[in-house]
Amino acid sequence: MTTVPTFSRGRAPGEPPPAEPPRAPEPPRRRSPLAKREGRVAYLFLAPWFVGMVLITIGPILASLYLSFTEYSLLQPPEWLGLDNYRRMLEDERLHTALRVTFTYVLVSVPLQLALALALAFFLDRGVRGLAVYRSIYYLPSLLGGSVAIAILWRQIFGTEGLINQLLGLVGIEGQGWVSHPDHALSTLIVLNVWTFGAPMVIFLAGLRQIPAMYYEAADVDGAGGFTKFWRITVPLLTPIIFFNLVLQIIGSFQTFTQAFIVSGGTGGPADSTLFYTLYTYQRGFGSFEMGYASALAWVLLVIIAGFTAVNFLAAKRWVHYGD
Amino acid sequence: MRTLRALAPVAVLLAACGGGGTTSGGDGDVVELRYAFWGSEDRAQLTQEMIDAFEAENPDIRVEMDYADFGAYFDKLATSVAAGDAPDVMTMGGAYHSEYAGRGALLDLAEVDDIIRTDEISEDILAHGTIDGSLYAIPTGVNGYAMVANPAVFAQAGLELPDDTTWTWDDFAQLCTQIGAALGDAGYGAQDLTNHNTLSLWARQHGEQLYTEDGELGISAGTVTEWWEFALELRDSGCTPPATLTGELASQSAPEQTLIGTNAGGMSLIWSNVLEALSTASGEELELLIPPGVDGGEAGSWLGPSMYYTIGARSEHPEEAARLVDFMLNEPAAAEAFLTDRGLPVNADVRAAIMDQLTPVQQAEAEYLARLEEAAGVPVPPAPVGSTETAGIVTRLNSEVLFDRAAPEDAAERFIAEVEAALRP
Repeated sequence: MTTVPTFSRGRAPGEPPPAEPPRAPEPPRRRSPLAKREGRVAYLFLAPWFVGMVLITIGPILASLYLSFTEYSLLQPPEWLGLDNYRRMLEDERLHTALRVTFTYVLVSVPLQLALALALAFFLDRGVRGLAVYRSIYYLPSLLGGSVAIAILWRQIFGTEGLINQLLGLVGIEGQGWVSHPDHALSTLIVLNVWTFGAPMVIFLAGLRQIPAMYYEAADVDGAGGFTKFWRITVPLLTPIIFFNLVLQIIGSFQTFTQAFIVSGGTGGPADSTLFYTLYTYQRGFGSFEMGYASALAWVLLVIIAGFTAVNFLAAKRWVHYGD
Repeated sequence: MRTLRALAPVAVLLAACGGGGTTSGGDGDVVELRYAFWGSEDRAQLTQEMIDAFEAENPDIRVEMDYADFGAYFDKLATSVAAGDAPDVMTMGGAYHSEYAGRGALLDLAEVDDIIRTDEISEDILAHGTIDGSLYAIPTGVNGYAMVANPAVFAQAGLELPDDTTWTWDDFAQLCTQIGAALGDAGYGAQDLTNHNTLSLWARQHGEQLYTEDGELGISAGTVTEWWEFALELRDSGCTPPATLTGELASQSAPEQTLIGTNAGGMSLIWSNVLEALSTASGEELELLIPPGVDGGEAGSWLGPSMYYTIGARSEHPEEAARLVDFMLNEPAAAEAFLTDRGLPVNADVRAAIMDQLTPVQQAEAEYLARLEEAAGVPVPPAPVGSTETAGIVTRLNSEVLFDRAAPEDAAERFIAEVEAALRP
């Protein structure tokens, strides 16, 4: 499902060198009837996707841009408000809370998750027996992590009577209700996100596999230690993969919804400590029938994510090394 | 993967074409109605019994249930109404019928008043479903706010149930703390009492109202502050659980998980129609008490509608939907299935007809309502548009207070500001 992408210039270190590109393009040729027919067939096959894309994705996105300038209660036609929804955000204290919660979550959980993914990929790459089994086991949480079932399980595990407190009880520590305490509820969700390190790990593993052994051999000859090899060879050659994972995980984390919704019962509580941006958007839209304001919130989230991604790409010029 | 996703819209379109409102039966057309309500599996079962009786009498109508847990119900309803896929008959509660009616989503029941009979329902009760002079919602039953007490837990603590015609909040605090101390780790005197209904009760006991007749916020910051100071006292004395447990209890609504339902609490403030579900969960003979009052003041509690039946404004079959609503309100057969599950029936004749069939628990509930009717003050005015947000605001600020993150007076100020903002049109 996920492929290692090649960003802007060059290719990921993993990819085999591309076939020699034709130096001089051949003069334009008349396309044969067969090619034409195939082209038409291709468009025909693409049509359902294209119709779906326009009707189900692009249409609603544009509609929400319009709605973000209106007051729209779902049940009555929208009323034009101009920029009022956007102005309102400046004074919306719960929105500011939501931003604080979401930024904390993204800035803490993404680095932790990537570090764990890289560390495990590194050790699995050292030739563990039964690699395929471990890889599957570690990948499993990534498939399950966003699900409702896991979120419910999480609430139980970190509840007052939950597994964590029972384990703590065994060593004589009296625990507390983790998900129901405003100081800790967000941490349990960060742990949940870090736990789904499998997807970036598998990608790291693929990247590690592609680093030519000759670099390490050369380093051995020069007497480099394990740490030096990791820091001077592995990490630089892996930077495109790290970058890819970073961009994807940041975008994904900003959009976190299910876990927060289930763990807090849809409230973002206790005391708004898990009020994620998307959850707040949902509350305004479906709880208070303020679809116009919710649409405006969604667009601001888009701008935030686009901003983060742009900064990422700009910064990447300084630290991401492509093979060639 | 891609192809599947691309074909999905096509499948949806095909499915949409397939599902019409009517399906041809062997003998004439059968109308399908969707009936939405919130509640547990138990309620769904009772409802199915009612539907079976209704369909037996109305072979031309088929009723499909559409239900969800209370926490998810109104989210689901909002989404389906917005999508133009509103259920034909919708159960409403609190101020939701005002919100939906105010936005044109409900049928003015005057259009079907030849089908829905309301002669046997009192004007006071119907007033709750009347918005701007038109009847949009009819209460399903009568309900009363009550302090439920678990005699087994009282006995465990060596205490007797109080005389609920005279008891005050001080008496409550004392009893509650004694139970909490006696149970130790095994339980608490009471579940935290704070919610918008309790604030309404507290306001009435202090000569105020949560909402005025004009739909404004009527409670003062001082009165709200006093409540939260009291809630903190209860927490600190071991009457109510620590904030973390209160938070956990607040985030779920199943009777089986409450302190009363697990026999880990002596008392709790509830709506009287929940008694049955709580009794089943706890297995004990629970009792309903009139909530404690302020020394020498008003009892404060009131009889109100438990839920409402409404019909979607865009229902394709308003007449059939009205027949279902009429059946649920006025036919003993429906009441025999529901008994007191949706509150004590509003139709006086129907109420009398089912009295003998009530279980002991339901009889206790009916007796409580009869006692409360004597003690209750003036009726509570219908909840204004925008007041559906109050519940969430109270719960959120309550955890701020119980976790000592906000002082009672600050939380009270915020409560006033936020509710006023939500009520503003």
